[in-house]
Amino acid sequence: MALMSSLLLVQGESPRTSEYQLKAVFLFNFVQFVDWPPSAPQDSQPPPPLLIGILGDDPFGTFLDETVRGERLGARSIQVRRYRRIADIEACNILFISRSESERVPEILSAVKNRPVLTVSDGDEFASQGGIIQFFTDKNRIRIRINLDAAEAANLTISSKLLRVAEVVRTPKR
Amino acid sequence: MNPGKILLVEDNPDDVTLTMRALKSHNITNDVVVAQDGVQALDYLFGKQGRSPADDLPAVVLLDLKLPKLNGMEVLQRIRSEERTKLLPVVILTSSDEERDVIDGYSLGANSYVRKPVDFVEFTKAAQQLGLYWLLMNRAPPSPRGP
Amino acid sequence: MAIRDWPIKRKLTAILLLISGLVLLLTSAAFVTYEVVTFRQTIRSQLATRSRILAANSTAALAFANEADAREILGALKYDPHMVAAALYDRNGRILATYPAAPSADLIPAAPQPDGYRFEGGRLVGFTPVAQGENQRLGTLYIASDTKAVSDALRLSGVIAIVVLAIAMLAAYALAAALQGRISAPILALAETATAASTRQDYSLRAPKFGEDELGALTDSFNQMLGRIEEQKQELQQHATRLEQRVAERTKELERRALELQAANSELDAFAYSVSHDLRAPLRSIDGFSQVLLEDYAAQLDQAGRDSLQRVRAASQRMATLIDDLLKLARVTRTEMRTERVDLSGMAREIVLDIQRTSPDRQVEFAIAPGLEAQGDSRLLRVVLDNLLRNGWKYTGKQPQPRVEFTAVDENGDRVFVVKDNGAGFDMKYADKLFGVFQRLHSSAEFEGTGVGLATVRRIINRHGGRIWAEGIVDQGATFYFTL
Repeated sequence: MALMSSLLLVQGESPRTSEYQLKAVFLFNFVQFVDWPPSAPQDSQPPPPLLIGILGDDPFGTFLDETVRGERLGARSIQVRRYRRIADIEACNILFISRSESERVPEILSAVKNRPVLTVSDGDEFASQGGIIQFFTDKNRIRIRINLDAAEAANLTISSKLLRVAEVVRTPKR
Repeated sequence: MNPGKILLVEDNPDDVTLTMRALKSHNITNDVVVAQDGVQALDYLFGKQGRSPADDLPAVVLLDLKLPKLNGMEVLQRIRSEERTKLLPVVILTSSDEERDVIDGYSLGANSYVRKPVDFVEFTKAAQQLGLYWLLMNRAPPSPRGP
Repeated sequence: MAIRDWPIKRKLTAILLLISGLVLLLTSAAFVTYEVVTFRQTIRSQLATRSRILAANSTAALAFANEADAREILGALKYDPHMVAAALYDRNGRILATYPAAPSADLIPAAPQPDGYRFEGGRLVGFTPVAQGENQRLGTLYIASDTKAVSDALRLSGVIAIVVLAIAMLAAYALAAALQGRISAPILALAETATAASTRQDYSLRAPKFGEDELGALTDSFNQMLGRIEEQKQELQQHATRLEQRVAERTKELERRALELQAANSELDAFAYSVSHDLRAPLRSIDGFSQVLLEDYAAQLDQAGRDSLQRVRAASQRMATLIDDLLKLARVTRTEMRTERVDLSGMAREIVLDIQRTSPDRQVEFAIAPGLEAQGDSRLLRVVLDNLLRNGWKYTGKQPQPRVEFTAVDENGDRVFVVKDNGAGFDMKYADKLFGVFQRLHSSAEFEGTGVGLATVRRIINRHGGRIWAEGIVDQGATFYFTL
């Protein structure tokens, strides 16, 4: 059960809505603090959009779409994609794995392994399972846990600023 | 009445002669005693050393001013300074009519001042009038010793 | 003491101090203003820099709503005591975190205000955008700093300014006191010399010269002036000394002359006195004994003899008259003058009465103008009128209608007295001989006289400082004019 900050309560919105509204913003904000390795040069103009994918049931409703609407990262626009199956996953930059897929997380992670995809989920133990960013709730606040090994494995550079506000973990040794 | 003497103090013998003649010609018979200088005059009035003076004082002294030894003014001064002679009538009879002499004469107590005219006729008239006036008309001061 | 009465030294020092003080004050004010303005700009830019750093650091905190991190970031402000308050607003203007953690209500605005840095209510406040990347606005950072630093800076620069001002004024005073002498010393020296010269009247003094400037020129001129005064004074003194010498010489000369004159006068006096006494005595003898001969020896003398004796007598009598007249003339010169106002008309009438009394047999008409007056010695003026009127009477003796006038006319502002007769008159050829001693224009047979009367008259008129002159026509009369 997610808890809400007092600040969020002031907004008078439903707790659940607010939680995902915030998570939508966070998801968008990751774009700012993560560097993807440069992709193969493409001549196409305009440059390819930055894709945020959602795998499984979409808990954001319209929040994510509203959040990214009109936003850009440099010249790149930001688009949201929704996937049902692992196979559907394109070359998205951020992949949010819904709770509905928690059973298949290892499978999903291995599917995107060694690809520059920022995997995010609010599922428990996501980071320790090898996911890169995991939302968790601490003292009614949504916090971020980052598996730095996973990020390095995905060839992603995460801003130290982001690391400052996150809890950093490592993949347990096998 | 005993008319007194006249003491004529005159050094010029011509003047003595002429004066005597003038007086006599007018019957002025009084004795005229002549002193030829101031010293003689004073000797007559006050006596020489060791000799007493004339008993009677003259009725009038006709006094010339310019005299040898003591001049007329000095004689007059002496006469007026002595108790015996201080009231003695003195007529200055002289050639000069210098104002100085007239003033000095009266200041020293002269009773009259007559200038001798050159014209002898005038001179005779003057002498006659003087004799008449002083010897007959004038009342002499009392003699200091007289009774 | 009014400022214009201040000594020049003080005035100069005051002027120098005033100028340097004013300059220093303006400079100090400019310095302080510059300092303050610069410092405000500095602390503003410092605040801006700090804000931007903080904003950059707080992007993640804002982006991920990490309140603790935000608070930690803001908490670093405590190391700067001037930082009063700070806050982070999220994109929607909601406060994420504040500094201090529990601020008083007035320290943090409820909502962010336009970006920028400004002084507000004694504080420097800044609103800085927090953004990640190029245009990703995450929120706003608010920082409020007190302006104590500014006032400290103001105070410091004020203190510096005052200290500098004080030191500079001291230095200026010292310099002014030292340098004013360059100007005041020559003036003071000049003033001192002028005062000394005028009080002691010592014109040999010279003012010391300090340089070749205008004051030097003034000093030169002043010294030249003193020199000229000194020369003139010396010249004046020389003149005075020379004059004194001459006066002394003249005085001596005059004294000598006066003594001579006195001696001459007393000789004359003695002579006159002697003449008066001694010259007449032989005449009396001559006349007297001639008369004796006529009286006593008339029988022995014939007519011619008697006649001769009569002539001897007449001559001696005339000589007596001459002597008398000469003595009168001498007396006129010798007697002391007593000046007073004299009624000439009245005096003339008295003389006329005397003439008429002594000679009742002659009928002469006398016309005497009334109210004639003059300033002079009354006895001497009587001699003048007596002589002139008797002359008029005498010389009209052959006139059937004799007339003598005494009047006066005004000529060129001078009063001229006129005695006029219609008698024998005289020839103008001999006019100049009229007033000489023993000078006669008529024989004794015609008119009696000794020739001394008019000489006496002229001498008296001269002694009064007047003039006498005469006009005449033979057988028609003579007119005598005189002034006094």
